[in-house]
Amino acid sequence: MALNERNVGNANGDAERDPRLDRLYHEAAREAPPAHLDARILAAARREAGARPRTLTSTLRRWHVPVSIAAVVILSVSLVILVREEGGEQIVPAPVPAVAPPVEQPGATGPQLALAEAAREATQPQAAAPASSRHGPRDDIKAPVVLGKLADSAQPQPGPPVVSGAGIVATPESAAKPLPQPFLAAPRVAEERAASSRTDAVTAGRMAGTPAASSELQGARSAADAPSAKAVPRAMAAKPPEQDRLPVWHGFEKEPPQKWLARIEELRRQGRAAEAEEMLSEFKRRFPQHPLPAGLR
Amino acid sequence: MTRSAESTDEELMLLYRDGDAGAFDALYARHKGGLYRYLMRQCRDKAAAEELFQDVWMNLIRARAGYSVQAKFTTYLYRLAHNRLIDHYRKNGHVATASFEEEDCAAIAELPDERERPQDETLDARRQAGRLMELIAGLPEAQREAFLLQQEGGMSVEEIAQATGVTRETAKSRLRYAMVKLRQGMLGWR
Repeated sequence: MALNERNVGNANGDAERDPRLDRLYHEAAREAPPAHLDARILAAARREAGARPRTLTSTLRRWHVPVSIAAVVILSVSLVILVREEGGEQIVPAPVPAVAPPVEQPGATGPQLALAEAAREATQPQAAAPASSRHGPRDDIKAPVVLGKLADSAQPQPGPPVVSGAGIVATPESAAKPLPQPFLAAPRVAEERAASSRTDAVTAGRMAGTPAASSELQGARSAADAPSAKAVPRAMAAKPPEQDRLPVWHGFEKEPPQKWLARIEELRRQGRAAEAEEMLSEFKRRFPQHPLPAGLR
Repeated sequence: MTRSAESTDEELMLLYRDGDAGAFDALYARHKGGLYRYLMRQCRDKAAAEELFQDVWMNLIRARAGYSVQAKFTTYLYRLAHNRLIDHYRKNGHVATASFEEEDCAAIAELPDERERPQDETLDARRQAGRLMELIAGLPEAQREAFLLQQEGGMSVEEIAQATGVTRETAKSRLRYAMVKLRQGMLGWR
């Protein structure tokens, strides 16, 4: 029929929708599933989902990011506080040494030269002894250049003492052997080095900071404890050489308690609280029964 | 993602997949009527339609764990319904499957021209609706399905094509012929 052809032709355009038909259909189509079907399906859906896991997982998922961020912040703050506390202890300035150690002078100053001279004099008797008896198997080790320089700068007697120092520096096996006599010229310093690993850093700092003979001599002295001074961190090398300074009570060892107390009082008046405290501690250790003045308790 | 009245069907289904049973309640409330009527009109048997209706939702519930948003939710839902319906037809040896396998658009020429009906037959809305339902019931299965998917699922031609597994042109053709027949059938019923 002609009508049907026209209708099909119209359908090529906007024929997929007809507002009148839509309205009529939706007015007519109102059926709904029975309630028992709804209840059955919804119950099955709840059974399948399970209410408890949903609550748990959704809660966890919701708090996952905030809890993670909070944990990171807490850890970071704790770490910063911890590092600051520990670092604060480390960077507390050391008490000013009562007697400035000669080895801390930047150049080849008088005390250092005197020390070098003393070392050289002390080694001279050994130079006369046979090489085999002095150094044993180290005699075949070649002397490093640094000690050759030391020998030149300090005008030493040829041979053994300097070579001996070179052996100590150069060979790990020598680290276990006792230091030769010249390098024990300052026994207190040597003892402190043996007692503390921080001595290495101090020595390295000296080696880095002092020129010429004094530096090299000190390097040789510390070599027994420091196989490789270059490996010492720079920050540690910059630390003040607490081990080298004399104790604040140096010279008071045989003095009566009254003199100790007078010295402590004097230090306090001078504002040298740390030294006063250090001397007071030593006083208490030496004279535990001695009564303290009111100001010192 | 939280559930709200503005949540899309896809969001609700994802929430349900993740265990939110309340999301399924909202989803069911939105689509239960349309799906039920779609099945009722296609089956013409209330008991069978209810069984199919329950099966479709149960299939959806069982498949929730593997759900991902790849198409509009209605397309997904009515695709399940279409497949279940085809199974139902095959199981019962329903002759309607023929209309899904061969286009019957040529039959449009056999429709009576409703404009030839007397114009004085003014009908109330209820009778008009009844007439429309008769016309819908008289449509071939595939064309009726296309029309119902448009009306109940609010689907476009592309979505109808996806839901029924045919090309866009086929879906468009089915829908077009359905509309032409319905318009023709309603011409004298104003």
